[in-house]
Amino acid sequence: MANFDEENNRLTIKLVYYGPAQSGKTTNLMRLHDILRTDLKGEMMLMETANDRTLFFDLLPLGFKAPSGLLIKFKLYTVPGQVIHDSTRKAVLSRADGVVFVADSQRTQSTNNGEAFSNLEDNAARVGIDFDQLPLVVQFNKRDLPDILSEAEVLQRWQSAPWPVLFSSALAGGGVVETFHALLHQVYNHLDQEFDFQCLHHLSQAAFVDQACGRIDNQA
Amino acid sequence: MSKESDHDFERDLSLNELLHGIDKQRLETALHTLLNAPLAIFNQQGECLLGAPEQAKDAISQPLYGELEPIGRLTAAIPQDRLKAATALITLLLRANARYLMASDLHLQTQQADFEELQRRHTALEQSEQRYKALAENLELRVQQQVKTIESAQLKLYETEKLASVGRLASGIAHEINNPIGFIRSNLTTACSYLDALKKIGAMLPSCQDMSALKSAWQQADMDFIQQDMQDILAESIDGTERIAAIVKDLKGFSRIDETAREEADLNMLIRQVCHVATAEWRDKAELHLDLGVLPLLHCHPGELGQVFLSVLMNAVDATTVLGNIHLRTAFQDNQITIEVRDNGRGITETDMPHIFDPFFTTKEVGKGMGLGLSVSRNIVQAHGGNLTIKSRPTGTRVTISLPVKPPVTHVEI
Repeated sequence: MANFDEENNRLTIKLVYYGPAQSGKTTNLMRLHDILRTDLKGEMMLMETANDRTLFFDLLPLGFKAPSGLLIKFKLYTVPGQVIHDSTRKAVLSRADGVVFVADSQRTQSTNNGEAFSNLEDNAARVGIDFDQLPLVVQFNKRDLPDILSEAEVLQRWQSAPWPVLFSSALAGGGVVETFHALLHQVYNHLDQEFDFQCLHHLSQAAFVDQACGRIDNQA
Repeated sequence: MSKESDHDFERDLSLNELLHGIDKQRLETALHTLLNAPLAIFNQQGECLLGAPEQAKDAISQPLYGELEPIGRLTAAIPQDRLKAATALITLLLRANARYLMASDLHLQTQQADFEELQRRHTALEQSEQRYKALAENLELRVQQQVKTIESAQLKLYETEKLASVGRLASGIAHEINNPIGFIRSNLTTACSYLDALKKIGAMLPSCQDMSALKSAWQQADMDFIQQDMQDILAESIDGTERIAAIVKDLKGFSRIDETAREEADLNMLIRQVCHVATAEWRDKAELHLDLGVLPLLHCHPGELGQVFLSVLMNAVDATTVLGNIHLRTAFQDNQITIEVRDNGRGITETDMPHIFDPFFTTKEVGKGMGLGLSVSRNIVQAHGGNLTIKSRPTGTRVTISLPVKPPVTHVEI
């Protein structure tokens, strides 16, 4: 749950990039770090092993001040995708306010995607997150690779799911911000019930999303 | 999950924490040499964490940033650009430390969570072990109760079977006893009339002077015949009472089922008693051939074995068709008594064969058998450490009972 620090007038929102190993979670964060022009943008903190695989997590801090003076701070985390790091995944997922599920579009990765998603469901339940209420966006990454599921196939498979499905190629940056946008919309709606952004902080949903992303440079 | 926010890897790290583990003396010396001026590092609360606050207090400052916000400042009397470069250098150092702190805190947190999970599972396992233990103890008790129930049900079955066979015998035995009673009564009535005749002659004795009148009266009453007949009918009556006594004795010997103590018994005598008691059952249907060998005494429950012999005999009788021949043979060999009952009846069908020892299985017509005879018989024989086997053909059946003279110790006490 979002952590409101009354003393410092600061609200910290935790967003987690979840998904199977090597689906591009860290790359998502790196591209966001490059692209976003949020007022307050911290440095990426990468915790990876020699093989470019995340060992603990990656962290990208972002922030802006609402008209009320409230500092809204985002902490974007990735989880380690490898199966063996489940305890770490659980700890990082704990108290998340929103999740991006980064799936690998390659045909060969369908099983891994499925297993990772049910692992997300299981771990959410274990750390006390109500999965039905959790803001969640599904991103099918690596659209630039050959032998991938077509968009029609993906959409058909996720037809009955309540979550928005987006497509991206994080390496080039395409779809990364759109995914973040889609998540922010949901997160706003979810947190607005508790923190009443509109009335108490004069912060609309559009302003919330815009400010979180900053004025973005012209990107292809 | 760790409840201590001290070790939450997500917490905002203060400057104090970020400087923890860094040799401040060496850092200060290095910075002092590089900057060539006194310097000081303050946290957000204005507390000096490193350097010389007095010498640096009027100098310019540059903020030190945490993730997003300033967490302190560097103060030194040097040009702005060099101060910025020094700040960047310190920030790099702090960030490296932040990485380490976050990673180690997360590590601790997951270790703790894993440990707690392990403990939780351990506790759950222990609880389930306790449950199983309790269940196992309970189970033993329940099994004991069930065994008691089954034992008492078995006793009832034995009683039922005993009553059923006694019931079946009752009419035959009644007939056997009624017969002598009938002629004893008739004899006694005749004896009473003989006594009347004797009384008349006796009454003549005090007044009679004439011996010839007495003689003619004697002859008139046919007292010579009466005397002879009286002797005959009394002898016959005594014989009758002896027959009744014998039947009662056999019946007693047979019906001692309630006596739980074992005793030394002669099985040949027991078989004879059974045959006598059941005379009415077989007399008109079959011929009984006894071929009884010399047997040692057997330590047994005679009443129970008698019940077995009766059951087997009754089965043989019931199986006879036209001309019944039942052979009863006993023999002793290799410390084992064998009793064989062979009939030339209709035999047991192949479909019935697997069920003959099932309780309540019977092919007899309603009222003639409860279907307990063989199952109870086999239990009794097994309780004596023996075996009861049956071989059957359409031309007859052979039941073989073997009993060890010294049966092994058995817990199946009936």
